Amino acid sequence: MTVALKLTDMETALIDQLPQDAPLRAVLSEHGLPHRRVEEWKWTDLRTVVGKLPAEPGVLTFTISREPDAWAEQDEEPSLLMPRLASALGEDIQVYTLEDGERLELGLEASSGVSNQQVLVLVPEGVKAELVESYAVEPDGFANLTLVIVVMPGAELDRVIEQHASPDAALVVTSLIDLAPGAKLNQTTLGFGAKLARLETHVSHAGEGAELQLDGAYVLDEGLHLDQTSLVRHEGPNGVTKELFKGAAARGAKGVFQGKIHVEQAAQKTDAQMQHRGLLLDDKAEIDAKPELEIYADDVVCAHGNAFGALDEDALFYMRQRGLPESKARALLTQSFLAEPIERIRDEDDRERLLARLMVGLEALS
Amino acid sequence: MLVIENLQARVDAEDGDGRQILKGVSLKVPAGEVHAIMGPNGCGKSTLSYVLSGRDGYEITGGSMSFDGQDLAEMEPEERAAAGVFLSFQYPVEIPGVPTLTFIKEALNAQKRLRGEDEVPAPAFMKLAREAAAQLGISNDMLKRPVNVGFSGGEKKRMEIFQALMLQPKFLILDETDSGLDIDALKVVAEGVNALRNEERGMLVITHYQRLLDYLKPDVVHVMAAGRIQETGGPELAHKLEKEGYDKYAGEAA
Ligand SMILES: Nc1ncnc2c1ncn2[C@@H]1O[C@H](COP(=O)(O)OP(=O)(O)OP(=O)(O)O)[C@@H](O)[C@H]1O
Ligand SMILES: [Mg+2]
Repeated sequence: MTVALKLTDMETALIDQLPQDAPLRAVLSEHGLPHRRVEEWKWTDLRTVVGKLPAEPGVLTFTISREPDAWAEQDEEPSLLMPRLASALGEDIQVYTLEDGERLELGLEASSGVSNQQVLVLVPEGVKAELVESYAVEPDGFANLTLVIVVMPGAELDRVIEQHASPDAALVVTSLIDLAPGAKLNQTTLGFGAKLARLETHVSHAGEGAELQLDGAYVLDEGLHLDQTSLVRHEGPNGVTKELFKGAAARGAKGVFQGKIHVEQAAQKTDAQMQHRGLLLDDKAEIDAKPELEIYADDVVCAHGNAFGALDEDALFYMRQRGLPESKARALLTQSFLAEPIERIRDEDDRERLLARLMVGLEALS
Repeated sequence: MLVIENLQARVDAEDGDGRQILKGVSLKVPAGEVHAIMGPNGCGKSTLSYVLSGRDGYEITGGSMSFDGQDLAEMEPEERAAAGVFLSFQYPVEIPGVPTLTFIKEALNAQKRLRGEDEVPAPAFMKLAREAAAQLGISNDMLKRPVNVGFSGGEKKRMEIFQALMLQPKFLILDETDSGLDIDALKVVAEGVNALRNEERGMLVITHYQRLLDYLKPDVVHVMAAGRIQETGGPELAHKLEKEGYDKYAGEAA
């Protein structure tokens, strides 16, 4: 027996905006927004958090290095709920086709209220390009964004994402990525969380020499939550995936790392490594992690690791004995712990910029 | 400049039943003097250095310690450092990810800010670093590496004195700075320490060996056993200990 769901005002408002004949209406009415009893969202209760936010329409402000090449309508509906919502309720899809050597900057700021948008980024065959994103949501905002990224054969994309601390706001960014044979993607995220933030990345990895580097660092101050969830699906042989996530959570903050690497039977000779390291800055900090490998091929090299720690008190005292204030000593130690994923950013300017942002975020920790 | 009177301290223990380690330490080091402390393993020498510099985990149960008239017990470790107290650690700590020179520069400027002084301009800092490194035979490569990471025991001790040369503290506590140093390195390090010696500066040198004291020529030697200073004398006291050991103080233990 299923108990009818009592919809939140937010859910009712979302449903009301959907066309009468949209199948999504029924899905939302029946299941609501994702919540903690949905396995993939067990540590990130979107439904409860956005249920308390105002349901009126919000405004998305884009700061983009150039105009989109086209605006398109959705031809094929995504399967995940949040991208479906983004596509159904957002404006037409912004389409960017990157040129060789291009650096596309995509800054997104959401006001209070609800906003949805979908963006499509195409990296044509053999093209090498950079995509630099930033996300911020004002208090009482709920932004739901979907990026569809297609990295075509032999193309290379360096993607750098900065998610600004957004207290009292909710943010869901879902990236649906197609990595073609011989293509390369280096993705690095620096996240500071929100009342609730979820950065979810799905990669269809074709192998055949395709390489994925999926990295992230996070620093969460009191009351902030960041969930970095990824699913990498190796579909063809000879693919490489390297994942490194490191994060620190302060008192009353919550970090979530869910990483899954799925290796299909056809994906022989896959080389996949996934690491997550969490630093609990206080007894009352929380980091939940679930690294998973699901392997159906027999000739692969796959490994994953996960560990939690605290700052080294001896090192802290040593630094203070030399004159560093405690906050600075903590920030330096935390920075040195967290820097590794950021240091793997290939573009020197981006690397330096994010390292500096990381330090600022650390020194501001309450 | 450093005045310790009847200082008593215990280590905090998980079960709340801490052990009394310092059982009434008294000593005075006036500016310009070098005092040595010798004593058997476990008598509380490092504990004294930690209590003086403000490490967590100790409870002061009696007595007092003051530096240039300021009550050290009331000060944070970084305030004590800015006031001029420098501890050369018996076991220097590795700090991954923080390059040595960056660390020292941050520390020096943090001290200066606390004292209300101007920061050191980068070129002047670099010049100072080059000179001090040359004096101690420290390579450029070591300065770029993270603090103490992967350094040998002797290199770490050398690096402690390098930091002292850079920070120019008013008072040095050297906790077994000689241990782990080969004969040549000991000479180099002792020369570095002697270069810091002047009328305004005091030193407390904890050691087990005469060799370092041959170089440093302390004004006063204290014998510590069982958490107290048991005897105080001139340099000849160290020679006597070298011959006779600590047997005669054993009765004072427990
Ligand atoms: N955190 C602690 N918990 C329990 N006992 C401690 C702690 N720290 C020090 N002690 C004890 O206090 C005593 C004094 O230690 P300390 O390190 O000060 O000795 P020391 O004189 O420096 O010895 P050494 O010459 O070997 O360096 C020792 O018996 C040691 O085991
Ligand atoms: Mg000791």
